Amino acid sequence: MAGAAPQRKLEVSRQDGCWKAEFLSMGSPCELLCDDDNEVVAEAAAQAVAAEAWRIEDKFSRYIRGNIIDRINRAEGARIDVDEETARLIDFAVTLYELSERRFDITSGSLRRVWTFDESANVPNRADVDAILELVGWHKVEWSASALRMPPGMEIDLGGIGKEYAVDRAAAIARDQTTASCLVNFGGDLAVSREPSTRDAWSVGIEALGGGADASDTIIKLSAGALATSGDAQRFLLKDGVRYAHILDPTTGWPVQGAPASITVAADTCVQAGMLSTLAMLQGEGAEAFLEAQGCQYWLGQAYGV
Amino acid sequence: MAQRDDKSVSATLAAATCALLGGAASAPVRAQEEPNWEFNTALLYYGEDDDRVQDASLSILAIRDFLDEKSLALGLSVDTLTGATPSGANRSNGAQTFTRPSGRGGYTIAAGDLPLDDTFRDTRVSLSASWQQPLGRMNLVNVGATASREYDYTHVGVNGGIARDFNQRNTTVSAGIAISRDIWDAVGGSPEPLSLMSDVGDLGNRTGEDSKDVIDVVLGVTQVLSRDLITQFNYSYSDSSGYLNDPYKIVSVIDATSGDTVPRQRGPGVEGPDYQYRFESRPDSRAKHSLYGQAKYYMDGKVLDASYRYMTDDWDIDSHTIDLRYRWPLGENGYLEPHFRFYTQTEAEFYTLGIVDGEALPSYASADYRLGEFDATTVGLKYGWKTAGGSDLSVRVELYSQDGDIPIDRLRGNQVGYVEYPDLDALIVQFSYRFNR
Repeated sequence: MAGAAPQRKLEVSRQDGCWKAEFLSMGSPCELLCDDDNEVVAEAAAQAVAAEAWRIEDKFSRYIRGNIIDRINRAEGARIDVDEETARLIDFAVTLYELSERRFDITSGSLRRVWTFDESANVPNRADVDAILELVGWHKVEWSASALRMPPGMEIDLGGIGKEYAVDRAAAIARDQTTASCLVNFGGDLAVSREPSTRDAWSVGIEALGGGADASDTIIKLSAGALATSGDAQRFLLKDGVRYAHILDPTTGWPVQGAPASITVAADTCVQAGMLSTLAMLQGEGAEAFLEAQGCQYWLGQAYGV
Repeated sequence: MAQRDDKSVSATLAAATCALLGGAASAPVRAQEEPNWEFNTALLYYGEDDDRVQDASLSILAIRDFLDEKSLALGLSVDTLTGATPSGANRSNGAQTFTRPSGRGGYTIAAGDLPLDDTFRDTRVSLSASWQQPLGRMNLVNVGATASREYDYTHVGVNGGIARDFNQRNTTVSAGIAISRDIWDAVGGSPEPLSLMSDVGDLGNRTGEDSKDVIDVVLGVTQVLSRDLITQFNYSYSDSSGYLNDPYKIVSVIDATSGDTVPRQRGPGVEGPDYQYRFESRPDSRAKHSLYGQAKYYMDGKVLDASYRYMTDDWDIDSHTIDLRYRWPLGENGYLEPHFRFYTQTEAEFYTLGIVDGEALPSYASADYRLGEFDATTVGLKYGWKTAGGSDLSVRVELYSQDGDIPIDRLRGNQVGYVEYPDLDALIVQFSYRFNR
């Protein structure tokens, strides 16, 4: 996928009383559901939303040559000036880094060189993990409001924030485009643009992750705010009966143990929902206690190893 | 992070998000998990005084909501009916013996007492299923099936409907149709209409099973007039055809002058009636038209629900129903709801207090008290509350009183002294419990 221009087209159809626009971005199926009766308005909203998703993808994807992330990652220790939007995202990541006691770290992507979660038994050896850990740690980065200098070999990746950020941006754009309610759904992270007037709420199904054949999907009625889900039942390693979930703790270089298979959180914005679910995941066994302490609405998938 | 005051995580995150997005959030989150199943259960007791009908009923309605406003509803109810019901025969100055519907054995009613048929005892099981889903942007369609079974009666039906929203969903127009077939497999077989009640053991006047077909059509408009006022208007048409008799109802054969029930000679050595009775006969079709209007008015937590129905049919029965409910919030999670209902109807053209002996038999005759002229009043009170877990509980107690009036000029001779409409009082107690799983 590196460098390849993704297929960028928008398909609009009528579904269950609203307009549905579908496109691909950030490696995920994305859609905009729009309650506006007027197809022209709905399609214009979808075009604007898709354009924003693609803009964010182009600007922040670590796979695209020449963008700000690529320039930072190839700077070989040189200082890189960043634009205002990139600075805001990095500032936000720094806040998360502090909030999470260094567990949420945009430099942790390098660990993927040794960890590939493909349901195999390819658990790396400790020496390899420790070697990679030398290239991980935000505290090794010099960051000064608009310029960044990073030791050679280190990488940053805003993928842990980008999709949720894009969802909230898209919801704001949809709100400007139409007075009707829209539901933005980028690969399962969602936000409502404004409260629906012609329906009670948007019905959102959460797959029963890891719940087995008899688990039924949960339906959440969302009329304002956002939902985000962390977790992926398909991404793990299994060796000697131990399941290594794909959430890595960058302070150790090893997967977090005991986290639920998935965590869905409801919050005012998709960014908040996504960060709360990610922070909870990083708590492992303490995920539920953390969510309880936040007083937020959440839904857990079944724990691994059932 | 473990040492951190966890609440501060949310606050810090909210502030950081605001800086990132520029305060672009539209509204505070409102998310609610949709329960997989909603169960509406009820236990009902209905008891008429003077040892007449008693009904204990348990019903469960389970509703499953799916994505995109689709839903499935499954219903089950079990009724246990016991007691006695007026047979249609007049009171008499002498003891009256009747042959049981089965033809096996008889029963005797003391002089002056209202003849009640006490063989009335049954268990009814009813099932229903319906599916509802949107069709296009503004329509909601539903299809369903119903069935019930009791010892001597079987019902099967299908129904369907469509509702369409207009006018920014302030107006909903709906149409529905229900088609059913009901089969009487009367104890001992259905008697030939207008045939005489015979001696015990003589089933010569009985036929096999009989059925009726019913088609109901409803057209309705629901109109939201303001935030506080919702109104609904329905027109419904019901067409029944086939066997519309109650196979257990009889009419006394009376003397033209005295009004007394005409005696009869029993067969030698057998049990049987000493007076003449004929099995009722109703037309084989009935068409009903109804108009219904309802208004719900919301006042600061209180709800006034008022409705009126007018019904007219080609049996000459006209009825009016007024129903009033007032919901009154009580405490944090409770409410009190008084209920008043008044019903009045005219009698069917073939309603009679006796078939006159010696005159040509009428085509149709019935002394079923439900076809007579009467008023009925229901007065009740319901108390409902919501539990901490979000379930709804309610208790309803109602008194039902049915009073008929037979004009004195309808009575012949001695009937003035002993024939009267069989008034009815009943107690209704219901517990309801609605919960989600």
